[in-house]
Amino acid sequence: MTKAFSLLISATTILLSGCEPSTEEVTPLSEGIIYCSEGNPDTFNPQLVTSGTTVDATAAQLYDRLIDYDAEKQAFVPALAESWEPLDNGTRYRFYLREGVEFHSTDYFSPTREFNAEDVRFSFNRWLDETSLYHNVGGSYPFFSATGLDKLIQKVVKVDEMTVDIVLNNADSSFLANLATDFAIILSAEYAQLLSVKDMPYLIDQKPIGTGPYRFESFRKDVLIRYTKHPDYWREGPGIKQLVYSITPNANKRMLKLVTGECDIIPYPLISELQALNRDDIIVTNEVSPNVSFWAFNTKRPPFDDPLVRQALSHAINRQAIIDTIYYGNAELARSILPPTSWAYDNQGIQYDYNPEKARKLLEEAGHSELSINIWAMPVQRVYNPNARRMAELMQSDLAQVGVNARIVSYEWNTFRRRLSRGEHDTVLIGWYADNADPDNFFRPLLSCAAVATGGNRANWCHPGFDQLLYEAIATTNANERKALYQSAQHILNQQLPLLPIAHSRRYQAQKKSVRGVQLPPYGGINFRLATKVTTAEESEQ
Amino acid sequence: MIRYLSSRLFVFIIAFFLLTVFTFSLNFFFPGDPVTNMTGVRTFSDYYPVISEIRGADKNIAFQYINYMQNLLSGNWGASLSSGDYVFEHTYQHLFASLELIVGALVLAVLIGVLSGIFAATQFRGPIDKGVISLAMAGYSIPVFWLAQLLILFFAVKLDWLPITGQINPLYGIAPQSGSILIDIVISDSDYKAAALQDALNHLILPVIILSIMPMMLLLRLMRNATQEMLQKPYVKAARARGLNEFQVLIKHAVPNATQSVLQQVPLIFSLLLSNSIVIESIFNWPGIGNWLVRAIFERDFPVIQACVLIIALTILLFNLVVDLYRGWRFPIVRQE
Repeated sequence: MTKAFSLLISATTILLSGCEPSTEEVTPLSEGIIYCSEGNPDTFNPQLVTSGTTVDATAAQLYDRLIDYDAEKQAFVPALAESWEPLDNGTRYRFYLREGVEFHSTDYFSPTREFNAEDVRFSFNRWLDETSLYHNVGGSYPFFSATGLDKLIQKVVKVDEMTVDIVLNNADSSFLANLATDFAIILSAEYAQLLSVKDMPYLIDQKPIGTGPYRFESFRKDVLIRYTKHPDYWREGPGIKQLVYSITPNANKRMLKLVTGECDIIPYPLISELQALNRDDIIVTNEVSPNVSFWAFNTKRPPFDDPLVRQALSHAINRQAIIDTIYYGNAELARSILPPTSWAYDNQGIQYDYNPEKARKLLEEAGHSELSINIWAMPVQRVYNPNARRMAELMQSDLAQVGVNARIVSYEWNTFRRRLSRGEHDTVLIGWYADNADPDNFFRPLLSCAAVATGGNRANWCHPGFDQLLYEAIATTNANERKALYQSAQHILNQQLPLLPIAHSRRYQAQKKSVRGVQLPPYGGINFRLATKVTTAEESEQ
Repeated sequence: MIRYLSSRLFVFIIAFFLLTVFTFSLNFFFPGDPVTNMTGVRTFSDYYPVISEIRGADKNIAFQYINYMQNLLSGNWGASLSSGDYVFEHTYQHLFASLELIVGALVLAVLIGVLSGIFAATQFRGPIDKGVISLAMAGYSIPVFWLAQLLILFFAVKLDWLPITGQINPLYGIAPQSGSILIDIVISDSDYKAAALQDALNHLILPVIILSIMPMMLLLRLMRNATQEMLQKPYVKAARARGLNEFQVLIKHAVPNATQSVLQQVPLIFSLLLSNSIVIESIFNWPGIGNWLVRAIFERDFPVIQACVLIIALTILLFNLVVDLYRGWRFPIVRQE
């Protein structure tokens, strides 16, 4: 009995001593950051995916690109390429590579040489050249086929050890923007060769080697990814030694873990619960990300072939109410299909104010005082639209006020998209998320005549004058000229209104105040390159 | 004793056989190809014809079962369909992580449950006894998941004393080896063992306490009733008449006999713990067998589902066997039943 009692007492003391919050921070805790990510990465090579979760976990942390995009300066800046120049009327780009860039040295690979032209050639040929050894390892390269980059680039030529030419089939000013995305990363050709000798080429995407600010340490599915600092990084690197992705799919739990200090930084907090993070040690940041949700009219079907009807319906919708209810105010009212952060944004855009009177008048003018339509609402959540069905319901009642009877249609996501491509809808609520900083990414995939054929043009709208402007805009590299062309394109959109832009939603993240330097670039995944952690003492000084 | 031992072992072997027949037939009940379900090798893989030949997919069912058993016993449990890792290597890590919680909860439940049960018995029908018993009823009736949310809200969110997910702060960089975090810290080469150990204990507190509540309350009631029953027996009266004090009567005479009937219920308590641990592990992101099973079900990862079912059932069987053998050795009356 006494023995049992003493055991009990000692057990309680251990438990209670564990309860005291530690006053001094232990070194590994102050030298590392925990990012509670929302899911497992599919692979450790962003070339193979378009999934945001994988890009967040890999692109900016493990790898570098030839060039980077600086969102503040709205310009391309050197990365692994020190400089570059367009040659042959923009059909050939020459890149001068940086000297002295080290690849990661890990327990599974020790590089014997620095980065050179061979690595660039290998990395591009991986997705470009169907005959290259590694092309079939991993299978498909969705970003490059969606942007047509694999068709645009003819070949990658090594001029000398530190110079590379990329030859294009035709001039395309969106080319550099695509190179600066998270997908156009540089792999190690030496590592690839080593793996193919060992007959384990698939390891290249599972045990990655890059030149980025962190190197791969370990991955436990559903639990964590561990990265450590790359000690020989070629530019200013992180102020921490360790970066851990703690995989936490549940948004509620992510927020709780931030509060209890088990996460230093979390993506996608629940926007309806943001007030729970209203604490002294937590900062919630957000920014307009390059996305847009819109209501597209199927212009192949009467009466939507009449611009007057499209304008009338647009005046009938109370978009501000949608932003308040569906986005909880965490979105910006869209005045153009381009987000206001784009350099080609036209701030003169015509605003389709909520005006039921005008809507009714325009409808009568067009000869449709009674109208019955359907609204297709997508069944899934997207960054640009957290709840399309609810949005459709709000619009349904707005439309009823002007005498339009709307029916809401929804299918399982794959069926939904297939039927949309066949043009079975009257109108649809959907949206777009841009992959790169070039405004072309918002126009050609969504509204060109070519996109009608591939199914990307949800409005089935083909306007030769508009198309002409888009092609002129990508044929030139002069920024001012391009800006003018895109503004006239937006002008045509405002008159023709094949689709009504609704909102540009914001991407949210929340973090401890002690974490500094984590960047959330508008085009691309989270970037921990300059991340540091300040101790509580330093924090109070500031 | 020999006869008792062999009969228990025989029952165990029969149960194990039925269990493997069940998991073997699961391969055929699950959708998809049976060989894929067993090995995790997909039908379009180059390796599939070879493995299908080895597993005797075209032979009769008895051959396939024997083959399955050979692979099972030699630790060849196939590869996960979702991660491609070998299942067996991960099974024991997950099992040890679970056992860490379960053993912790069992020890806590026995310590507190048994002691307060005995105490309540001595206060039979008194106000303390009534209080303890109503508390036990309430504690037993609270659903685990709800209690977990409540304690998380209080201890983690409001007071900010305890963490809520995982085994340890991942920044300590403790590599999983055995799966049990305390053992892993001790055998690791970390420079911060003491701090890591304290952090791991902090992570253990909430799940262990929550997991232990239900069996603790059950044990409390069982122990109280059994002890009380013993205290009514004539031999206890005789002991008192011999002049033994109340404490000696309790410890030397009433309690040992009371444990006999309580011990009979311990395997039941153990399976209660195992099934509750599935819920607790999911709530606390504990990398144990229950959490693994739940994820595998979501991902339709059949080799993993099978391994989890097998290992959970096997653990319960083994525990039953051990408790049976102990009871048979300790209490002769059990052997005669």
